[in-house]
Amino acid sequence: MRGLLQLFAAYGGFLLFVLLEAISITLIVQYNQRQGEIASNSLGLFTAYMDQSSDWFREYIGLKDEVVRLQAKNIKLMEQLENARYSNAVFRDSVRQDSLEQLYTFIGAKVISNSLSSDNNTLRLGKGSRQGIRPHMGVISDDGIVGIVRTTTEHFSQVMSILHSQSRINASIRGPGYFGSLTWDGRDPRHMQLNAIPRHAKFVEGDTVETNGFSQIFPTGIPVGVIDKIEEVPGNNFFKIQVRLFIDLARVKYVYVVDNLMRKELDELDQQAND
Amino acid sequence: MTNALPINIVRFIGLLALQVLVLKPLSYGWQGHFFINFLVYPLFIFLLPLRTPMPAALLSAFAMGFLVDLSYDSWGVHAAASVLTAYVRPWPLKWLQPREGYNVNHSPTKKRMGTQWFLAYSSIMMGFHLLVYYSLDAFSPYYLKSIFLKTLFSFPLSMFFVIIVMYIFNPED
Repeated sequence: MRGLLQLFAAYGGFLLFVLLEAISITLIVQYNQRQGEIASNSLGLFTAYMDQSSDWFREYIGLKDEVVRLQAKNIKLMEQLENARYSNAVFRDSVRQDSLEQLYTFIGAKVISNSLSSDNNTLRLGKGSRQGIRPHMGVISDDGIVGIVRTTTEHFSQVMSILHSQSRINASIRGPGYFGSLTWDGRDPRHMQLNAIPRHAKFVEGDTVETNGFSQIFPTGIPVGVIDKIEEVPGNNFFKIQVRLFIDLARVKYVYVVDNLMRKELDELDQQAND
Repeated sequence: MTNALPINIVRFIGLLALQVLVLKPLSYGWQGHFFINFLVYPLFIFLLPLRTPMPAALLSAFAMGFLVDLSYDSWGVHAAASVLTAYVRPWPLKWLQPREGYNVNHSPTKKRMGTQWFLAYSSIMMGFHLLVYYSLDAFSPYYLKSIFLKTLFSFPLSMFFVIIVMYIFNPED
């Protein structure tokens, strides 16, 4: 009680001022038609604005779930594509026996760290062995290929970016089908070099470069980039080709890890050949 | 010093009567365009004794504003403006403080403080009061131009009446 009195002694003027102004403003809004209308109108605008912002906020919170849901949906669709399947089609006794087996499946993941500045760039994904990611799996995004998984832990995995000095990606020129390997010279993160395309090959600038599925790491036919510049090096039997990538690795955020369901069989095949 | 209360009561009633009975009819007849309004009742707030406690100043300002509101049928507008004017009164007084300071038993009148000082003081206070009054009257920043125009037009006329009152009565306190 004494504290309250002291408060009034110290701030009485101010408190009374606030009280009297509150009474006056209430009177203005309550009993003056014009000012009352302005006040209720402004209050309506304010609450509408607040509703809108909270709505936006809720939507933003919901986006995270939405991304996971859409990734799952995309994976379902990608699994339906022809390049994700193994075909049993053969002609036997002039009857075409056709059945499809699933060859590739995909695991959605988010990039949690990324680098571009060095010669040997890596990315880190927020999914690991617990979700089924294993080393040597390919990583793709909506715009092209991202890299190859190098190591995994239970929750995370490290990806060797295609922008890595040791990266070799089998790729073909769509149409003529000449194949070579894509490497990176460590300069421009939007350009890679396509090597080992022989001098007799016929193609033009602007042709699309796609994965060819030789390594069984990426499905066949994923567009990687377009041919930007073709150089002939004297005394060399191969072209020097610059490929402009479709993917901008500086802003890749959501990716799919490619799981080859027949990987074990392919490994066995190599094993038998080596023995 | 002892007669400060009755003087202020008389001033309260006199200025209220002047405002309501003389000046209010004067602002009519402009066909709804209230660009010109003569407000002389704030003079009561200007002339409160310097030692008036803040709560007393606020309450009397509220009473004055409320009674003017009753007559102008503008519930709360004059009251809010008057209370705010009474609350900010110490600041102009501080800015205009003479070198030797104030005698707290006096009121800031023309006779006590000099014509020049009083003109500066009442101009600041009247300008502030009119600006607040027209802002609350419009009640929206949308009418900013009209608020400033009304303040500009009303200021010289209100000050004219304030000066006339001060010259006629020339009160000491």
